[in-house]
Amino acid sequence: MVELMLPKADRPVKGKTWPKPANASRLREYHIYRYDPDQGANPRIDTYFVDLDDCGPMILDGLLWIKNKVDPTLTLRRSCREGICGSCSMNINGLNTLACTKGMDDSTGPIKIYPLPHMPVVKDLVPDLTTFYAQHRAIEPWLKTTSPTPDKEWTQSVPQRAKLDGLYECILCACCSTSCPSYWWNGEKYLGPAALLQAYRWLIDSRDETTQERLDDLEDPFKLYRCHTIMNCAKVCPKGLNPAKAIAEIKKMMVERKAA
Amino acid sequence: MRETVITRDMVANPKTAYGNKKASTRHFITQRLTGAINIAFLVLLLFVVVRLAGQDRLDMVAVLGNGWIGLPLAVLLVIVAIHMRNGMRDVLEDYFAGSLYRLLMLLNTLFCILVAVAGVAALLKLVFWG
Repeated sequence: MVELMLPKADRPVKGKTWPKPANASRLREYHIYRYDPDQGANPRIDTYFVDLDDCGPMILDGLLWIKNKVDPTLTLRRSCREGICGSCSMNINGLNTLACTKGMDDSTGPIKIYPLPHMPVVKDLVPDLTTFYAQHRAIEPWLKTTSPTPDKEWTQSVPQRAKLDGLYECILCACCSTSCPSYWWNGEKYLGPAALLQAYRWLIDSRDETTQERLDDLEDPFKLYRCHTIMNCAKVCPKGLNPAKAIAEIKKMMVERKAA
Repeated sequence: MRETVITRDMVANPKTAYGNKKASTRHFITQRLTGAINIAFLVLLLFVVVRLAGQDRLDMVAVLGNGWIGLPLAVLLVIVAIHMRNGMRDVLEDYFAGSLYRLLMLLNTLFCILVAVAGVAALLKLVFWG
């Protein structure tokens, strides 16, 4: 349900300003959300200065530079550093994206970094994604068949395979779901753009033989129909996918099924 | 406010339902259909508004009392009321839960019925009794 204001204990306060690196000529200011549940204090926004001559060009490079050279307690997820794993998704200058593929030169002024919006925070920039993963589990993202298993693989024509383009590339970074106001307000009941994109990926897979059961499971006022076509999901997807279109296609399948 | 705590196992279970499964697609279709009809009727509404601009009550009675205008307007009012109720339900579902949601939804339904009945009754009076 809608929460328009954070509880007082969750509102960020001004934090520490860390010293500028010595002898650095090119600096970039980072404002980073810090929260440690063990301390029991309000979250705070710390200010750091990154030496651009000693650091890579991406936002993630800056964060790792801070972690390695300034403040080792800064906590964040990262792995592949090239937009494949989806680990380093966070809110950068108001937009959910991957820190590894977002350049520092994409914006001017201080870089403001928060964890993904409206998710419980484990620590600093690490959100708790367990509900998000449970929603992915709920759409049963695997091939389900009823006919006997073939001797070799389940085959698919080139046009049938082409239908999965723009869907299978999702890396489950959660940028889309956590940018969706509907998901903010009803995050437990609405499956969210990421899970529904994957749901559609399996609905139109020519090899899958449980389309009707999948549609049955999605037919719910909250799981599917909370999408109000706000389109934030399509705007922020770092892989350039369009979950809103996939959701519209699912709704179309629902209507066609009803009309048939 | 929320009546049942939604656990992670419930979320992960594809069979979990959070509302009227059978009605959800019907509501979606109804909302789109009534929305499309409203757009079509908008032409009639605009005609009536322009026609009545600056006119007095007698002209209004003459225009709306015409069966070709008054009766379609009555149908439009009913469709608008249905569309309004569905749209408000979406909003209420987003913003409220539990017994408060049910109370507001009841008020929403009553208000829409009231608007439709009062509007249709007024138009029927003008058409058939002047």
